[in-house]
Amino acid sequence: MKVYPYRRLTGNVSWRVDSAQLKTEGEPWEDVESKYVSTVERVVALGPNDDRPDWTQARLRLSANLPAKAVDGGSPWQDVKVVAVLTERATNTRTAVELSPIATDGRELTGELYLHRCDLLDRATLAVHVVATVGGVRGRVIATTDAEWFVDVIETAPSLARELDVKLVGFESGASRLRRFKDSPWVVDTTGRIPAVRVNTDFDGLEGLMGGEGGNGAEKTVRELLLTQMCSEVWTAVFHSAVGDLEIEEDGTPLFPHGWQGEVLRAMLPDIHPDRDPEDALREIHAARTGTSATGWGELQPRIHFAASKRAGVPRTLSTTIRDLERLTQGDDA
Amino acid sequence: MEAAEDFGPWLARQLRNAGKSQTDLAVELGMTRAAVSAWIVGRSVPRDETIRRIAELLHTDLETIHTRSADAQLGLPVSWYHRPAHDDGGREYGNAAAFAFEADVSVLAREATQNSLDARLDPSRPVRVRYTLHELTGEALARFREAVDWERLLPHYDALTADGGRQDKVSRTIAAGLRDMYQRDRLVLLRVEDYNATGLTGDDYGDGLFAAVVRRQLDSQKKDSGAGGSYGLGKATLWATSRLGLVLINSTLSEPHEGRTERRLIGRLDLPWREVDGREFAGPAWFGRPDPNAKSSDVARSWWADEETVERLHLTRESGEPGTSFLIVGAHDVASLAPVTGDEDSVEDDDSVQRMHARLKDALGRNFWAAMTEGGGHEAHLKASVRTYRNGAILIPEEIVDPADTQPSRTRALRAFLEGDTVDRLTARGQVARATVRLSVPLRGGEVRSGVPHEAVVLVTNAEDDVEGRPNRLVSMRGNRMTVKNSSVPNIPIGTNPFQAVLLVGRAAGPDAPGAEAAEEFLRASEPPEHNKWGQTEELRLAYSPAAHRRIATLTTLANQAVRDLVAVPRAKRRNGGEAKIASRLKVGGTTKKARPSGTAMPELDNVDALIDETGAWSVTVDLRVASNVDTDRPITPVAKFDVRSGPRPAAPWKELVAISGCAVVDGALRLTPGSRKAAFRGVTDVSRHPVRAQLTGLVVELRSGKGEQA
Amino acid sequence: MTDRPSYLPEHLGLLPNAEAAEFLTEGLLAGREDTPSLKLNRVTEPLPYTDRRGELRPVRDLVEDAMAYCRAGGLKATQADAWLAPRLHAALRLTRREAADPGFWNYLALGVAPDYVVWRHLSDAKVAADRFRGQYHKQAFARLWWAAELFRDGSDYSPVVTACANQDIMNTALRMSVINHRPTAQAIVRLVAKGVITTGREVNALMGAVNASAATLMYDVIAPDVERESRPLLDWIAEAEHARQVSRQELPAGPDEEPTPELSVSALVDYFSDLFADAPVRGRDLDLGLEAVEETD
Repeated sequence: MKVYPYRRLTGNVSWRVDSAQLKTEGEPWEDVESKYVSTVERVVALGPNDDRPDWTQARLRLSANLPAKAVDGGSPWQDVKVVAVLTERATNTRTAVELSPIATDGRELTGELYLHRCDLLDRATLAVHVVATVGGVRGRVIATTDAEWFVDVIETAPSLARELDVKLVGFESGASRLRRFKDSPWVVDTTGRIPAVRVNTDFDGLEGLMGGEGGNGAEKTVRELLLTQMCSEVWTAVFHSAVGDLEIEEDGTPLFPHGWQGEVLRAMLPDIHPDRDPEDALREIHAARTGTSATGWGELQPRIHFAASKRAGVPRTLSTTIRDLERLTQGDDA
Repeated sequence: MEAAEDFGPWLARQLRNAGKSQTDLAVELGMTRAAVSAWIVGRSVPRDETIRRIAELLHTDLETIHTRSADAQLGLPVSWYHRPAHDDGGREYGNAAAFAFEADVSVLAREATQNSLDARLDPSRPVRVRYTLHELTGEALARFREAVDWERLLPHYDALTADGGRQDKVSRTIAAGLRDMYQRDRLVLLRVEDYNATGLTGDDYGDGLFAAVVRRQLDSQKKDSGAGGSYGLGKATLWATSRLGLVLINSTLSEPHEGRTERRLIGRLDLPWREVDGREFAGPAWFGRPDPNAKSSDVARSWWADEETVERLHLTRESGEPGTSFLIVGAHDVASLAPVTGDEDSVEDDDSVQRMHARLKDALGRNFWAAMTEGGGHEAHLKASVRTYRNGAILIPEEIVDPADTQPSRTRALRAFLEGDTVDRLTARGQVARATVRLSVPLRGGEVRSGVPHEAVVLVTNAEDDVEGRPNRLVSMRGNRMTVKNSSVPNIPIGTNPFQAVLLVGRAAGPDAPGAEAAEEFLRASEPPEHNKWGQTEELRLAYSPAAHRRIATLTTLANQAVRDLVAVPRAKRRNGGEAKIASRLKVGGTTKKARPSGTAMPELDNVDALIDETGAWSVTVDLRVASNVDTDRPITPVAKFDVRSGPRPAAPWKELVAISGCAVVDGALRLTPGSRKAAFRGVTDVSRHPVRAQLTGLVVELRSGKGEQA
Repeated sequence: MTDRPSYLPEHLGLLPNAEAAEFLTEGLLAGREDTPSLKLNRVTEPLPYTDRRGELRPVRDLVEDAMAYCRAGGLKATQADAWLAPRLHAALRLTRREAADPGFWNYLALGVAPDYVVWRHLSDAKVAADRFRGQYHKQAFARLWWAAELFRDGSDYSPVVTACANQDIMNTALRMSVINHRPTAQAIVRLVAKGVITTGREVNALMGAVNASAATLMYDVIAPDVERESRPLLDWIAEAEHARQVSRQELPAGPDEEPTPELSVSALVDYFSDLFADAPVRGRDLDLGLEAVEETD
């Protein structure tokens, strides 16, 4: 629970990205179709596609609504401003823009935020803060909206969830680091912007089996089993990577990492420590990993394995497979 | 002075009403039968002196005989005529239709308004429909009872409700209606009137609209084959809305009947079998003039009423414009027991007129938003309003139903289309995108392969939050602007902005749309009597071909595709389908499980009161909620940290930690008192460890299980 | 001692994190081995651009000159940062989008100048692996580039020199997101330049105060920056085709962006001085801090 030495604004500050425009060098601004601005996912997808220019600059139109008490005469806040801030960690980008009221009551505000393609790597966060003078102190943040938006400059579909980078490649003919794994069906690389999964097409028959559609019952069963097996391994690897490099506070509290690492941890921790809240679970895991807890890192592995296989859908797939197998065998007998 | 009707037909009807023949009159006047006959066929007119004598003989005044605006009060009076039961003693339980439905003013609004739309007279102007709720009490109620000849009705109601053992639905409903009237001194009238409609034309018993609506409950008598409502059931909803099974009708005809157009009145009562004063009755009763031509004098026909009577019966029409007024006596609304969105503060009973008013308005908006939408010089098909009175005084002033209230996005879509204000692609909220889809209309009786190309219109706009019900739907309609289909658009990816879409086919696609007439005709043939889909029908099979309905399936597919193209981002084309398949299983983010940890045994922070004390330290008073499963043997360490913009938060070590209640402080940790559900403590931070003065910080207070590293 | 790579291709490349791991040998981290440059260049990926700023030679020369500059002046290796950061930034002419690719920095550290990384960062007979491959505020070259990017005031690199001359700014401030606001970064540099902040403890105290205070105050509002324009940067990058090598004597000029508003910087300088006055600095008299707190009430 957070407390502040001044009155903060409670209640709902709603805001949204209303529309977006893109600009290519030497061309006029061009409207972005609303389907790339998802109010459901709160994602603006500005990645390149066929009917979109290779843009250099984007402009987002934002609107926000303040609760009445924010602008009431008797409120403890003067000079109330609404500020939208776009940040991206990978590029240390921070752009702030103040919204302007469009109605006399000052509760409805709009603004335009400009962003430059050359300043952004993949996904920027857009947040809205309400700032006011409180007790004579200027620039106090009196509210920060829970609802963040993301501006994704790589993806074309506005989706909060991101797919891992999956490619089917030949390991023998591929990059040297893959050649080393030429007998492996797949490898996971967690060192990039987003985890990468490489499936070995030089592994005889693997591509047809995993990437294929249809096939007979046995083939489908094996494919499903194989896919969940692979996913389970991917989640295990990804989890280990995410937990491996945490920022630690002076009392030993690990901080949730940003980006996919944080997302993976938040998704898997409840299955690893179902009786703890995520912060507590992370602390416990960090302690186990660094050897400062009674539970050793080794003892934690079955839990990680369980969480990964659950996420991959192994138990469900396995029970279906076993049933299918029984049916197939009976078919043979008949 | 212009008379309402020629003298001849008027006189003929008066004689019929009085049960006199032309000879009878001739004898009484001392004239020849031929003279009387000449007046009746209009070959001659009687002299003033003779007219005066005729007035005497017909027990009427000269005014009536000159204006001929009403019938003479001779013969059997206007009143209730109950149909006797069949001689075979079969207990026919009256009209099934009337009491078969649950009273629901929303259904009434839909069905009655549809009938009005179908009966639109001048297609270049909207048909106007007005719903008037009128609550009567006391004196006003008594006057209405008198006007409706209540004394001739009551015994029949009593007969149906007196027997306590007959607790069937009909008697329960009627009993409730009577209780409302006698114990609460209250009666609700609901008048449904339309203007610029045909009115109830035709003979009392013939094939006309009058007979269809008044006589035969389940008939459908359509004026235009473009009509859309379910006529037969539509009428029944009028009676179903009356607790007393009683509806009075006043119609202004678009085509004269008996030489007249205004104030054609009749009342109809639908009751099951009953025994009154030793006589058995079954089926409808009529409020009108007994039919001199009918075999039984217990059948009544419509009559031409004078203005005063119409007034007393609450059936006055605002103008001479053709159309019909239905007065539902004892209107109620069982369905409104379900909550409605209205701004009523108090909880109203189920039959409150305020509630019914709101529901009528809502139902009109929901069902007829398209018919009520105008724009770009195109008149609406329909204008509807609702108003409410109590004892003649306005309770809720007339409200014109604005389709945008209940269907903001769909109305916006249609209006933009009518005004030619659509866009090709959606780029901002409030825009309406228009796309064209091709329907190949087969030739009537023609070859399967050939056809007339029709360009149907797909409109898409963003849904407005929570007003219109489910988003992401496609509503389809043709020229009559009635929703034939309301279906969800398939394969819409997650994250798609909520939208509403409208498919306009046939005449709805606009007069300039190629093949509009052919498409309209084709769709009409594919529309079943329920008007709830387009598909295979007998008519379609016979008039077109057995395979013709497939064209509609193709149209649906194309329309859905057009919608998807406008609202959804196509999946990125990958080089490899296998990669896409695997990647779809490997996603991060998006679904953050907010699962509360199961069996967590930590106290919760209930409240933190914080202030900065005179030394500049944070002084916090913390209330804890302790669930019963919290292990009180385990110490709890309260931890404070300073909030920061980024990175690790500096610790704010306690200089002082004091238990207030429900706990004790032992070695810098809290020991909870067993059994206590609440605990409170106070902590003061060590100001020498503040990174910056407290006034500029935010403090984070958390609880740790066990003894923390913090001193 | 690790030497310059035996093979230096014409153009810079990208060495993805996954590939870089292989070259982070114990021998290299101990400064005993060279990088296998032929092998390394076989697994690199080409830059996404092909213009002259992708040439390897000028970068290599610059790094060598940085080492020579220190050796000649008898300076400590840490003192190379202030000299190299602005010049590296001006030589590379990258956008932030390009600079966010760790593969670029991996290549500089392992493929172009491992000898520099070892020379600059060898301590206790070992170089931390993240000096070769690591986060932007750790990696040997990324930290210099980002320090220059975040502390330059438009085309003026002199604040970069000040910032990079203070290892505590490099170690503490560079990783904090508060400095992504230009007026904040400029105000901090100015406090260092004015000598208000000198010791490492003071830098840490100031940064802690600025970071904590930013949780309740929005500096963007009390000290607004001008709206960001990318045109000058892109023009500056385009000029790389004709630009001469960066001067070894003079400070180069960065992209012709609008300078940070003086009013905003001075407002924050005053504000931060005030914060610093009552921030606890380890070793500073405790009583002073308490007095200051009382004053503010």
